[in-house]
Amino acid sequence: MAPVSRRLALSLAALPLAAPPLLGQTLTRMRVSVIPVLDVAPLHAAIREGYFAAEGLEIDTSTTTGGATGLPGLVARQFRVTFSNAVSIMLGIREGLDFRFVSGATRGTETPPDIFAVLVKKGSDIRSGKDLEGKRIASNTRNNIVWLRGMAWVEKTGGDWRRVTTVEVPFPQMADALAGGQIDAAIFSEPFVAGALATHGDRLERIGWPISETTPGGTNAQYVAMKEDLDANAELFDRFARALHRGVDWVNARLTDPALLELIAGFSRVPVERLRQVALPAYPKGVTPAELDALLTTMTHFGLGGRYPATASLIHRTAAV
Amino acid sequence: MRRPVRFSSGVVLVAGLLALWEVSARLDWMQTPNWPPLSQVLAALARDILSGELPELAGGTLLRMAAGLAAGGTAGVMVGLLFATLPLTARLFGPTVELIRPIPIPAVVPPLVLFLGLDDAMKVTVVALTAFFPVLTNTMQGIAAVEAETLAMGRTFGIGPLRRALRITLPAALPYILAGLRVSLALALVVAVVAEMIAGEQGLGHYLVMMQFAGRAPEIYAAVVALALLGYALNRGFLALERRAIHWWFALGRQAEG
Repeated sequence: MAPVSRRLALSLAALPLAAPPLLGQTLTRMRVSVIPVLDVAPLHAAIREGYFAAEGLEIDTSTTTGGATGLPGLVARQFRVTFSNAVSIMLGIREGLDFRFVSGATRGTETPPDIFAVLVKKGSDIRSGKDLEGKRIASNTRNNIVWLRGMAWVEKTGGDWRRVTTVEVPFPQMADALAGGQIDAAIFSEPFVAGALATHGDRLERIGWPISETTPGGTNAQYVAMKEDLDANAELFDRFARALHRGVDWVNARLTDPALLELIAGFSRVPVERLRQVALPAYPKGVTPAELDALLTTMTHFGLGGRYPATASLIHRTAAV
Repeated sequence: MRRPVRFSSGVVLVAGLLALWEVSARLDWMQTPNWPPLSQVLAALARDILSGELPELAGGTLLRMAAGLAAGGTAGVMVGLLFATLPLTARLFGPTVELIRPIPIPAVVPPLVLFLGLDDAMKVTVVALTAFFPVLTNTMQGIAAVEAETLAMGRTFGIGPLRRALRITLPAALPYILAGLRVSLALALVVAVVAEMIAGEQGLGHYLVMMQFAGRAPEIYAAVVALALLGYALNRGFLALERRAIHWWFALGRQAEG
């Protein structure tokens, strides 16, 4: 029941050092829903480097696992900004929720290693989507970006995705489920790919890169806010995006620097030695209509079609960079 | 002649299970790094206690649990007293209560988030809702069990209904109410942690989820061990308080063995 969280207390204590001109000025508190994964490194960089404080903002992160409470919490005004995967965001928009893209977060890289990987048990004879027909593949959630890229990979490698059974298994439990034979394959996301290969490397192997084999550089995740809030507080979100994008610059300047891994280890609690094996995503600042249109085409192909607004209208000015 | 081994203390069984844990993990019976040896778990537990992280998180969890328990318990006693003394209220609200009772609390967390947010208000409410029902049921049961002669004597002495309820009925029903509270206490800790696991960066529940995502099995089980110890300590503490609060009842020797 501490109304002042430790992070808040620490950042307040550090404030006089970090930003002397702001002494006595109150910060606007913004609550952001995040997932404890690599994707949100720029946000944490911007918090730690004081970029938000310099814009008069104090960011209070709320960690949820998967989009379960992130997007509904945004609708319920519990969060000002939510980090989520592109598919869940677009499905919400299809249902009439007024999400608008405030900033890009991550994309796949053009070439392997991907942030996603398809893993199977060693010696299982499964090599392609064709081999997976009639078998069980795990995704952390159905109808999200992980599932979509996984199904695209199944099709690309000769399989009929409708004949592959998807089972929902949380990332932390995937490696055990796979090694134990409860599932035949799993679509992993980093840092769980590196984790699974580090701990179960003698029994698991990677057979596919779902992003670079189907959509090199394909979209992955973004930050969204509610249209109404953006209309009423445009200037606040300008400051938010400015600080976040300075965080993106910080991260992109350190993609091969141990400082980035230490930052990620700090907020995700994943040990640094494991992070050294992890594949990083690309960290864009913006969101383009082209990447969203491509995503919608793929979503429609895999049964997630419907009436969507023109994608350009969904991109707030802060993400049009 | 050797004396037969005494298993009645239960300690032997606990020690045996812990030894089995250590051995099964060391020999990798489960074939997974996600089943770490107890010694590694205890090392992680010691590390995070000494760093101050776990005590702070556990304190937050316990505070939310206590607040919810106090609110839910008080409401349970008051509603139980009302239902028992004014049968009309039981007829009016009884069906509503009975409909709400079987709802699994985790199922209603998302709507509660809509109304109460992600922080203390939501979590305390979730605990209070959980704690309410065992106390309510036991309060009504306890009041029904108050001997008619006792109440008749109160009436003979001209004691008014309110005073009768507070000075005769309630103390006589106290052993039942406390038994209900003890059930609620165990549930309250569970539910407080579940609520923390769902949203917000608070308490042991959030720590558990973070460590799951970070793939740090020793820390996950360290939190589990900490919760087991907390739950055990809470129950023992409650039993001691109960002995003091209703020593007269224990003196009557009516309680069940154990």
